[in-house]
Amino acid sequence: MSSSEEFVNAILELEEEKALKITRERLEAGEDPLKILDDLKVVAEKVGEKYEKGEFFVADLVMAGEIMKEVSELVRPKLKELGKAREPIGKFVIGTVEGDIHDIGKNIVVTMAEAAGFEVIDLGVDVPPQKFVEAIKQHNPDVVGMSGLLTLAIESMKKTIDAIKNAGLRDKVKIIIGGGRVDEYAKEYTGADAWTNDAATGIRIMLGWVGGKKV
Amino acid sequence: MGGRKEGLEVSLMGVNKEPIDVLIERQQKEPETVAKERLDIILKAVELKVPSRVPISGLGGDIMAYYNGKTWYDVCYDFEKAREAVLSFAKNFPQDFPFILAPYGLEGFIFALAFSDFPDFSNIIRFLTGPVHDIIKDKWSRWPGRELREHQHPQFLGGEFMKPEEYKQLIDDPLKFIHDVVFPRACPGLGKPKSPQWNGTLIRIGLTLQRVASFQGALFQELGKLGYPAIPMTSAYSPADIIGDFLRHPTGAMLDMRRHPDDFKAACEALIEHILKVATAIPPTPPLTISFIPLHLNEMLSPKLYNEFYWPYLKKVILELVNKGYKMFIFFEGDHTPHVDTILELPKGWGVAWFERPRDFIKDVWEKLKGHTCVMGGVPTNLLVGGTPEKIEEYVKNLLNQTKSEGGFILSTGIAELPKETPKQNIRAYINAALKYGE
Repeated sequence: MSSSEEFVNAILELEEEKALKITRERLEAGEDPLKILDDLKVVAEKVGEKYEKGEFFVADLVMAGEIMKEVSELVRPKLKELGKAREPIGKFVIGTVEGDIHDIGKNIVVTMAEAAGFEVIDLGVDVPPQKFVEAIKQHNPDVVGMSGLLTLAIESMKKTIDAIKNAGLRDKVKIIIGGGRVDEYAKEYTGADAWTNDAATGIRIMLGWVGGKKV
Repeated sequence: MGGRKEGLEVSLMGVNKEPIDVLIERQQKEPETVAKERLDIILKAVELKVPSRVPISGLGGDIMAYYNGKTWYDVCYDFEKAREAVLSFAKNFPQDFPFILAPYGLEGFIFALAFSDFPDFSNIIRFLTGPVHDIIKDKWSRWPGRELREHQHPQFLGGEFMKPEEYKQLIDDPLKFIHDVVFPRACPGLGKPKSPQWNGTLIRIGLTLQRVASFQGALFQELGKLGYPAIPMTSAYSPADIIGDFLRHPTGAMLDMRRHPDDFKAACEALIEHILKVATAIPPTPPLTISFIPLHLNEMLSPKLYNEFYWPYLKKVILELVNKGYKMFIFFEGDHTPHVDTILELPKGWGVAWFERPRDFIKDVWEKLKGHTCVMGGVPTNLLVGGTPEKIEEYVKNLLNQTKSEGGFILSTGIAELPKETPKQNIRAYINAALKYGE
């Protein structure tokens, strides 16, 4: 097994110590840190597959995300030292919608999206529609993510998507809504392009979107 | 059943009254009869029998706070306005299992636990309220007109108020740890332990609780005049959720299961006796005393983690209370599908299982549990928000046709959190369909 495969498997097995040990060894051996980050994209994709197959649950995503974050933190100084930067695979604006301040789900998405190679602009919680509109104008993202736990968040998602439509920006972005209480009804009601109850599926959908676009 | 006949006459006279209107009239005109009927159908459902009509539940949330022009701030901080909001909602949208008619409270079980040696008030301090939040300034919750805007729903956020290396202290003496370490961190309003501010604040909490309790008592009496039965309810909790909700934050709790597995399990074990003290503070009274547990971490865990860190301790709490004569009422938050089979380990007729968002209600929940567990739920909340009255009627009819002949079913939304934009005619359609097809 290559160190790359071993590394990917260690994270998928949620073996924190082992994954970090391999990361250190790879960096010490002088391997290109970008290669390690590319492996994280593979991990993000596989984590999504595992979630969809019912092999992974939120607690596993949290652990996988934590390991990915720790790996990224180990890699970052090396990257800086070499004067290298990672080419983002897409730009992603995310926030918890107005009226809702829950952010567990959103934070898992942010961690995994960054690890997967997205440039993430995190607008925080309780984000009013206008702030989403301004962020789209300013950052020109490929994907906009709206998160929320409360049922009322669905109404806020609808208002936010309406505001994006009114600003003439709806065709420029793909929109995904996420949270414990969104479903197909909510997707239709809000006018989003996709919905997800979990971060991993969300990341997979987004990777599909930017992959399709770039090819 | 004079009221039923009366309803029939009204419709025979050609006045276009729907079943919901007949019930609205009856619950005002003959509240005692209606309350008896309600208690009877709830009891039958809990005992897995076939009631004369499937009980209706699950209506509440924003829609109740805003129904007659109030804001969340009004409802949380002005008891008179809370009273008006609850009563006008209860009057116009009748339901049978009305435990959710208390929109001014938020999750606060840590306080019940901390004062579990005081059965006279542990269940009163169990839910956080705006006025108590103002005094203790707890960091677990956010309130309208305070940290949130006035029209925003009060929100439980939780947080991390214990470090992973402090498990030992928690395990050794949970109550001492909560009072000495957690409260000073999470409730800056209390000030320093044993200081004049600390002592004074505790007295002020006591005075405030007295106001809350007398308001609540009066409210329940008035609900009785609308035909809502008084069903005593106590509170319990899942030990792992104490850690996730109040001590380590859910993310921290999930990481601890992998990084500190033995500590986590020992802490769950240590919390059980105190949880049981809270739950048994109100003795079980026939015919029905309910003990309520909302689950939080459940859906986030794989069956492996659930069966190792969550279920064994929750099961102990449930079994102990069922043995003592309580009926449990458990809210299975999120998608509990992967863990549904474990419920069959409980004795038949243990209580009510309310499911928020199972993948396939009939297949994953109903078919597995019918005849063993009283099942509550089945209606996606978003159907009431975004559907049409016709779609709702069709859905409820179909659901009731699959469930009612078996008994042991309470019709409900997945969570009693309807946004204020929920069309009134949709809620009416839900109740109408339940009354029409539930018999």
